[in-house]
Amino acid sequence: MFEEPEFPAAWELWVRSTFLHQFVADQGQWLWPVMETLHYLGLSLLLGTVGMFDLRVLGMAKGIPPEALHKLIPFGIAGFAVNFLTGISFFSGFPEQYFYNPSFWWKGTFMAIAAMNVAVFYLSPSFQQVKAMPAGSDAPFRAKVIAGTSLLCWISVLVCGRLLTFFRPPVFH
Amino acid sequence: MTPIEQFFYNLEHTDLSMWVRGPSLLVFPVIVSFHTLGMGFLAGTSAGIDFRILGVAKRVPLSALQKFYPIMWAALVINFISGTLLLIGYPWKAVTNPDFYVKLSMIALGVYLMVKIRQQVLNQPDLSDDKIQRHAKLLAWLSLGAWGGAILAGRLLAYTYTWLEVGVRGGF
Repeated sequence: MFEEPEFPAAWELWVRSTFLHQFVADQGQWLWPVMETLHYLGLSLLLGTVGMFDLRVLGMAKGIPPEALHKLIPFGIAGFAVNFLTGISFFSGFPEQYFYNPSFWWKGTFMAIAAMNVAVFYLSPSFQQVKAMPAGSDAPFRAKVIAGTSLLCWISVLVCGRLLTFFRPPVFH
Repeated sequence: MTPIEQFFYNLEHTDLSMWVRGPSLLVFPVIVSFHTLGMGFLAGTSAGIDFRILGVAKRVPLSALQKFYPIMWAALVINFISGTLLLIGYPWKAVTNPDFYVKLSMIALGVYLMVKIRQQVLNQPDLSDDKIQRHAKLLAWLSLGAWGGAILAGRLLAYTYTWLEVGVRGGF
């Protein structure tokens, strides 16, 4: 699965035919470092704001009602949006570097788990329970499991992303 | 070789330096992963506190935000250790790159502001005064700028060096 085929697959040829691929490939000299910087800023926003909320649910800074801290989450979502867009651009520029790379699939797996975890949090009673928590109160056990899962997933996403360069196909070394 | 180059050449040939630069997937990749994690938690948490000071999530009590400082200090310690190891791995590459000093200055400013914000904003019982409010917001904007600058300068380290090791030119 991680072995790069001798001839590019159909999906790869398609990616390489897009405007985005051309743009990233042509402008990479300046665009790549800029996108990397944006990607790092985005991950900091995501990890910082979602991390603070998760840590509060887990029991840190109990003087803050979680619902008040939840107002910082849009910054995390903005960070995720920046990283999603820059991520798609990275992939378009050098698709095989990512597709034939185990770290990329691990990263995607942790992102999928994080997404399901988000869905569980907002669709189950957990969100309403956490929202109703006053300052000083302790979160229900299920909310803590969700918060811990979130924290571990985003940490794993970051680590797998950082490890991408070390697991890319041999042609890039 | 000048005495300074000799010093860095010797440093580059210590066991520790060669271990950091070595091919093991358990060394360099693990160190940079910790460094990026620390960056995210330090800059991210500090930014979250800055947003609160700038008027987002107003119902978050400022004084309670101090409870997040241990996370930021832990992240700083992780990055100091991982950063020192990276510096020992490629010392000449770092010290010959002006961008490296920009990065260190930005981090110093960010940490200084982190402490100032705790002393002058989070620890203040009464922030109703307009003057104090303006001062608090200035500190928060500067803090966001410092962390953004540190991340930018840090990322650009990979694109701006002229030497990889003593006597070994980089790609730029």
